[in-house]
Amino acid sequence: MNEFKVAIRENESAHVLDLMGYLDAHTAPILEEAFQSMIGSGKFRIIVNCRDLTYISSAGLGVFMAYIEDVRENKGDIKMSNMTPKVFQIFDLLGFPMLYDIVNDERDAIAKFAALS
Amino acid sequence: MQELNYRMKLRNLVLLASACGLFIIVFIINAILKVDVELGSLLYVREGAVALALLCCYMFIHFQRHDSQKRLVQKIGIVNIWAGAFVAAAILISLSPLGGFDTRNLKIIPRDYLTVFFTSILSIAAGLMAIVTQLLIKEFLLYRRKKGTKRNFYALLVMILLASAAAADGDPMESSVASTILFTASILLIIVNSFRLTWIAYLPRREKIYTLLYSLLAFFIFIGIDVFIADQNRVVSRGLLYFSHPLQVFVQLNAIFATVYFGMVFISTLFQLPTAEAFDRKQTEISSLHNLMRLINQVFDFNDLADTVTKMTMEVCQANGAWLEILPTQNSSQKSGNVSNQNVSAEDIAIILGGGEKSLRQLVLSTKKPVLVDNLSNDRRTRHLPMLKKVGSILIVPLLTHENVMGILYATKEMDFGFDQDDADALSGFADQVAIAIENARLIERSLEKERLQRELMLAQEMQKRLLPQVLPEHTAFVMHAVSSPALEVGGDYYDVAELGDGRYGIVVGDVSGKGVGAAFYMAEAKGVFQSLSKIYLSPREFLIHANKALAGSMDKRSFISLLYAQIDVHKCTMTVARAGHCPMIYVAANETHFIQPSGIGLGLTGGEVFASTIEEKTVPMHPGDVIVLYTDGVTESRDSNGEEFGSERLRRLVESQRLCSAEEITEEILQQVWNFTDAQGYDDDLTVFVVKWNGPADHETEVHTLSL
Repeated sequence: MNEFKVAIRENESAHVLDLMGYLDAHTAPILEEAFQSMIGSGKFRIIVNCRDLTYISSAGLGVFMAYIEDVRENKGDIKMSNMTPKVFQIFDLLGFPMLYDIVNDERDAIAKFAALS
Repeated sequence: MQELNYRMKLRNLVLLASACGLFIIVFIINAILKVDVELGSLLYVREGAVALALLCCYMFIHFQRHDSQKRLVQKIGIVNIWAGAFVAAAILISLSPLGGFDTRNLKIIPRDYLTVFFTSILSIAAGLMAIVTQLLIKEFLLYRRKKGTKRNFYALLVMILLASAAAADGDPMESSVASTILFTASILLIIVNSFRLTWIAYLPRREKIYTLLYSLLAFFIFIGIDVFIADQNRVVSRGLLYFSHPLQVFVQLNAIFATVYFGMVFISTLFQLPTAEAFDRKQTEISSLHNLMRLINQVFDFNDLADTVTKMTMEVCQANGAWLEILPTQNSSQKSGNVSNQNVSAEDIAIILGGGEKSLRQLVLSTKKPVLVDNLSNDRRTRHLPMLKKVGSILIVPLLTHENVMGILYATKEMDFGFDQDDADALSGFADQVAIAIENARLIERSLEKERLQRELMLAQEMQKRLLPQVLPEHTAFVMHAVSSPALEVGGDYYDVAELGDGRYGIVVGDVSGKGVGAAFYMAEAKGVFQSLSKIYLSPREFLIHANKALAGSMDKRSFISLLYAQIDVHKCTMTVARAGHCPMIYVAANETHFIQPSGIGLGLTGGEVFASTIEEKTVPMHPGDVIVLYTDGVTESRDSNGEEFGSERLRRLVESQRLCSAEEITEEILQQVWNFTDAQGYDDDLTVFVVKWNGPADHETEVHTLSL
């Protein structure tokens, strides 16, 4: 069984979700839960750090699509960072870079959020 | 029905009338006998008339009896009424100033006609009473009959009749040797038959008390009757003997039978009374278990089952309150926690189960054995808990399946020491049945769920099969070949071809996010969109923009479709490609192999403007021998046992090396290689490969030329 974990960190300008492992239809609910808890408590500035994400399936991509509207309506954003080339390729193929802010490093995302406030 | 009723009434009437007529004959004969006691042959006529009259009465009563279904206790009451009435009449006649009888030479001679009349009436009453008594006792005897029961009873009946018949000959005041022997034999059979007392055991305790009283009363009444009949100095006994000697013997034997039998009933009931409660309880337990076993097959709804269980718990051990706790399990949507509760408040439950690691609940969970607390306020395990008004003692048993505790059954009583070891045993036995019932309910639920899913998947699979093209278009300019293999029963891969007219063909390969029925549904939608819009919007880019618009409204937020649309133009010899978030197309020409990957995001990701701005269109020229390969990510994302992906580069090299093969060979080779790569793991995603091999320009003359060859 492929494992997947989400850890939540708080930063001065945003909240960081550290994704670890294999994100597919079986593990997607774990990420959904994390997003729901963030949005439920009014935290709309979210950085998803994908450094330890090894794979993402279409169901995993669907999770981001489910929440991006809500987050942006509340003047927040979901930014993604630290993707491995393999994972970036999956995001890229589908065209995510044209819709989402995907940055090289978590610090860039923090800086972008900081610049807003 | 009415006909039958009428017949029965007629029959009863005939029987009654014959009995009356026969009795009148007996009356007359007896009246004549008063004058002349030596009319020997008339005696036999009289006895015959008596016997026939009584037979009519017997049949009449026998037919009547079937109309009413009374309880056994009530039947003793009926015997008492008949016998009591007879005794009352006998006492009245004894006390009345009738002339009575004289005895002379062992013969009985009435002093007046009134004596004859009244004693005759009393004799008839005695005969009827004997018949009723005998018929009712027969019912007691035959209750839960054994092999010899009926035989013994009929032996007695025959013996009584023989003894009576033997009395027909000879004088009323003396008895022959034969009649004495038959009489003694009857007494012996009476004793044998009087041990048939099984029915008492099955009576509820209340009815046993009534039986005790009624049988004692009956016993004394029949002793009185015995005395009246046996004492030949009394007018009653003499009257009976004068009326008919056989009848006297018949009544006497039946009265003795009733005396002995009801005496036995009294003694037996008396001894069974102390155990009556225990017997009742066992009966309840057994019937409760039976009821539950029946329910196991009937109750599929878990909530109903839980309520039935708690109600029955109260019955099994006569508890005041009960509740059922089910421990949470995986693979079941059944509720857990306290699922049903009878007469115990949630606060009380919380108090009883309090105490953390040392609570009664934990004790049951760890020992897997019943726990009985006789006195909650004094027991060392519970005395620290707050006092409870409604709970004095508690019995807790685990529900076990395969040595695992699946739930706990609690029963409470208001009084202290309310439960004994028997209750604990009974409830444990009951708990085993409950565990089976709950396990069954779970299995049924699971199999129903599984069946539902399987049906759903089969439906989706069927749907998906029909969505893929059954035949690919044929043309002299190209050869197409495609294979799609779903990983699960239903995948999300889709491919299709449409003939657009004017030498143009549209090919689409796509991947719907998700699997199963949802994916099949979107796939159907995609097919509809493709087949209609591809003919309206001839530019691949335009097609994708409009397809996105059409799909956006109906798609779930988290779903999307990736699509690659390639359009062949056999006149221009070109392939025009637009891509919506899908894997690129592999283009293999004589001296170059590369990916055609125009920009473009997946369908359903975002609406209108943004989508349109991302979509590009690329056109490549096609030369004879060129190959293009469209595929889904199932091909490139297939993994070997080390977790390494097949990858797009490996695929590109493979296609390049196969470029001289036919479309079918290339397709098969790709599948084979992916299969070899993933080894025994099998595909873990759906995969689709679509290959087009270009033969040459669609020259009209060439076509005719080839045909004419």
